[in-house]
Amino acid sequence: MTPARIAILIAFAGVLVAVAAAARPAPAGPEERVERIVAELRCPVCQGLSVADSPSASAREMRDLVVQRVAEGRTDEAIREEFRRSYGDWVFLAPPTQGAGTLMWLLPIALVAAGAGLAWGRARSRAEAAEHDPAPADVQALRARVAREEAADL
Amino acid sequence: MSIGWADIGAGALRAALLFALGGIVAAAFAARYRDVRGLRSARWCALVAFALVVLADAAMIGALVTHDFRLAYVAGNNARETPLFYSVISLWAALEGSILLWTLVLAGATTFVAWRGTRALPRLATTALGILFAMLAFFLLLVTTPAADPFVASPFVPENGRGPNPLLQNNPLMALHPPLLYLGYVLFSVPFAYAIASLILGEGGDRWLVATRRYALVSWALLGSGIVAGAWWSYAVLGWGGYWAWDPVENAAIMPWLTATAYLHSVMVEEKRRLLRTWNLALVIATFALTILGTFLTRSGIVNSVHAFSLSAIGPLLLGYLVAILVVSCGLMLWRSRELADGGSLGAPLSREAIFLFQNVLFVAATVTVLLGTLYPLIAEALGGVQLSIGAPYFDRVQVPIGLALLFLMGVGPQLPWHGASRATLERQFAAPALAAAAGAALALGSGMRGAAPVLTYALAAFVAATVVQEVVRGVRARRVLHGEPAAHALAALFRRSGRRYGGYVVHLGIALIAVAIAASQAGAVEVERTLSPGGAMQVGQHEIRLDALSEVQEPQRRRVIADLWVAGPGGETRLSPSFAFYPNATQPVGSPGISAGPADDVYAILAAYDARGKAWATIRVRVIPLVSWLWVGGLVIGVGAVIAALPPPRRREVHLPAIAAEAAAGAE
Amino acid sequence: MTTPNVAASRRFTLTGRTANLLVIAVLVGLIVVLALGFRRDPRDIRTAVVGKEAPAFRLERLEGTGTVALEELRGKVVVVNFFASWCVPCREEHPALVRAWERYRTSDVVLVGILFQDSVESGRDFVRRLGGTWPTVVDDRGRTALGFGVFGPPETFFIGRDGVIEGRHIGPIDEDTLVRGIETLRRKPS
Repeated sequence: MTPARIAILIAFAGVLVAVAAAARPAPAGPEERVERIVAELRCPVCQGLSVADSPSASAREMRDLVVQRVAEGRTDEAIREEFRRSYGDWVFLAPPTQGAGTLMWLLPIALVAAGAGLAWGRARSRAEAAEHDPAPADVQALRARVAREEAADL
Repeated sequence: MSIGWADIGAGALRAALLFALGGIVAAAFAARYRDVRGLRSARWCALVAFALVVLADAAMIGALVTHDFRLAYVAGNNARETPLFYSVISLWAALEGSILLWTLVLAGATTFVAWRGTRALPRLATTALGILFAMLAFFLLLVTTPAADPFVASPFVPENGRGPNPLLQNNPLMALHPPLLYLGYVLFSVPFAYAIASLILGEGGDRWLVATRRYALVSWALLGSGIVAGAWWSYAVLGWGGYWAWDPVENAAIMPWLTATAYLHSVMVEEKRRLLRTWNLALVIATFALTILGTFLTRSGIVNSVHAFSLSAIGPLLLGYLVAILVVSCGLMLWRSRELADGGSLGAPLSREAIFLFQNVLFVAATVTVLLGTLYPLIAEALGGVQLSIGAPYFDRVQVPIGLALLFLMGVGPQLPWHGASRATLERQFAAPALAAAAGAALALGSGMRGAAPVLTYALAAFVAATVVQEVVRGVRARRVLHGEPAAHALAALFRRSGRRYGGYVVHLGIALIAVAIAASQAGAVEVERTLSPGGAMQVGQHEIRLDALSEVQEPQRRRVIADLWVAGPGGETRLSPSFAFYPNATQPVGSPGISAGPADDVYAILAAYDARGKAWATIRVRVIPLVSWLWVGGLVIGVGAVIAALPPPRRREVHLPAIAAEAAAGAE
Repeated sequence: MTTPNVAASRRFTLTGRTANLLVIAVLVGLIVVLALGFRRDPRDIRTAVVGKEAPAFRLERLEGTGTVALEELRGKVVVVNFFASWCVPCREEHPALVRAWERYRTSDVVLVGILFQDSVESGRDFVRRLGGTWPTVVDDRGRTALGFGVFGPPETFFIGRDGVIEGRHIGPIDEDTLVRGIETLRRKPS
């Protein structure tokens, strides 16, 4: 095992541990729950702003209602349902994961997967086109030269 | 009655339209018959058309500055009390004026290409010039039809105009943000015109791409600066403590920037490896089409937005233009598909070109997601009559993972050689950056960041920064060995001679800085709201805020209610004055935040409500936002990097390039 | 969509023609959506509450004392109008409300005004200046407006005898629309 490989493995493990530590969900207190709900509610008098971000009176009233409902012990889903009842799915800034909104969630994943597959396919084709490429020893020499030239920018 | 501003402006635009049409004919003639007289006429057509559009823009500014309410545009966007500065920038405060500015920039770009661009590659450039003239003619047609004629007379001449939109006369950044965006949008017409010209001529090579590399880079940089300036404006003016809301107009600006970024990278694959020809053409066309689509979205009124101009008949015209662009581009690409076939194949999955390709995939996925997210409410309603919203929570959730993957590739790409690398090389290359990433993650945890995405952002930003430092150190070392230069000299030479590469690295640093600023400001902001009586104080994070007074000021164009705040924190003391402004013709007051910017955090204070009668209390909302200033700094770093990358390298390198020979030949004509 | 390539099996590729067709189909779809967009007004937001039971309310009267509750009006046709003194279109529509009220006040139709995001004094001032004798109440921290899914004043809701919201009008209403809405509900058997 080379020192470089050990360093990379340690660093990778370190980042993983840090991310995992940070991702551990803290127990959601009432304030966090309120923030979480209002961040996804659309302020009815604004243009695309959330209740969390909007300074408008309507957003203030909606936030107050969420605060009260959380204090009353309602679940997040029940509170969302109350808003859905009066404003429809329109009131959520992230589309629902079922029905008309599904496509919006699947599309990015499908795009990245298909694109990465295509790109991988093209990159892999090098192996099949190996006969057009110079021999590995030449490549080493060439690469060293290219690196030198790029650095010196000749 | 004497000749008014409207007569001058409208006349100039109509005359400019004639010259643009003449330019199309002259350029076509020059390209077809390789005739110098045609080129000469085309050059003069461009210059005269440009001068006439300058005159029209000047006439509009004249009308605004002299408050000539006989013009509907002036009556609708200006008032006698409007300060001179805001009168001038009202040129782009509404639909017609902004199209006028757009036309001005396009005429300027056309003239530049006519006089400078046609010296090298005369045939390609002249064909491209003809296409630019056609685009200019379209926009001149637009500003001379009633749909977007800026010089239409008022139905009656009012005593006083309505004044500009209050949001737009609140901050000088408004002077910067739209022109930067338009410059970026419009300059991308040049690579597009060259690409189309190359397709028409069936060149098949990458000459168009080399000839327009700098235009694409400058356009990209201006677009990026415009976006950052817009974010800054939004932060400083709108008073919600954020800078990016995934509003349709913001989306319209970011989409071409994303595809242009993809293009700037994949271009290198074509230059070095002669690959991805079709792909690069597609990216240029997509970027250009997205600039038009953005204009269409914001000016047709089909999506609801803070910035959207009111509904107008210009929508169908712009849509027709977009359709024409797509039909012509796709048709030409299908027609020339044989000439566009790549020779050779891509390197291994761990080669620089493969990383560029993966990066392209992510950028395109991000663009398509933004596009679909912007349009999906339309689609859902058209298909199923469902009304739903696609806003920041959706975009954040989708774009953050894509952005993190891009950050990762940004660190990996520059470290990989073309064609591929051996495992041992890779390990050597990535040891230091990987350790830096771990340090970044530790720093994020140590500074109290919570959530996987922000911590990962810190780690990846450190990773990127380390790769840049490593690359620069390696370059300096190589020069010292090869040329025996001292370190400082070697560093300067590196940036001067390989500006494109090292400028690119500087841009990467700027992006890493922005990523950290976004992560910290999104995840680490603390907000407190209190209703205070004068003398009352509140604590937010490490800052103490006291309300000293609530006062009212009458200014010529507005009345303001100002909360006088005293703020003390680790960085010292300061005063803030968030306010409400009441404009005579606006129903809602306009709130202005008070911002105390600092390197560690910004204190962002908003006057949320106040006692209108007795001025006995005010509700103050204070948000302490960490590191947000570094976002603007990051924008600046990107600009600096772009300038380094765009500066031509020292002359002697270019002497041998064929373009110069061609230029000399063209000059001798 | 994918075509197995003989030379390089199991490689994920798009052949030229399928890629072309795909791109063209997507672009045509995009243009169609954009063109359809012209027929749509982004400010026209259909409401989720129509067809549902109206949210119950019991609110303090603007003038005098006592409350008005929706369930006490069951069996009558109820028109609920959200308004505010700071809202210019509310001032514009007010005469239409006055005329409609004069026409139906003696019948089984009740008009209820709900003051939206406004101070009681300004609301009283508004009603005294512009007239109107129908019951007017003050919303409690916007709760009723939120329950009705109000975007901003003025908005008018038509509630049937069974307490179900049958219609909604966003923006200033005119007398014709009011009369038509009320008559439809009056004719409807409960």
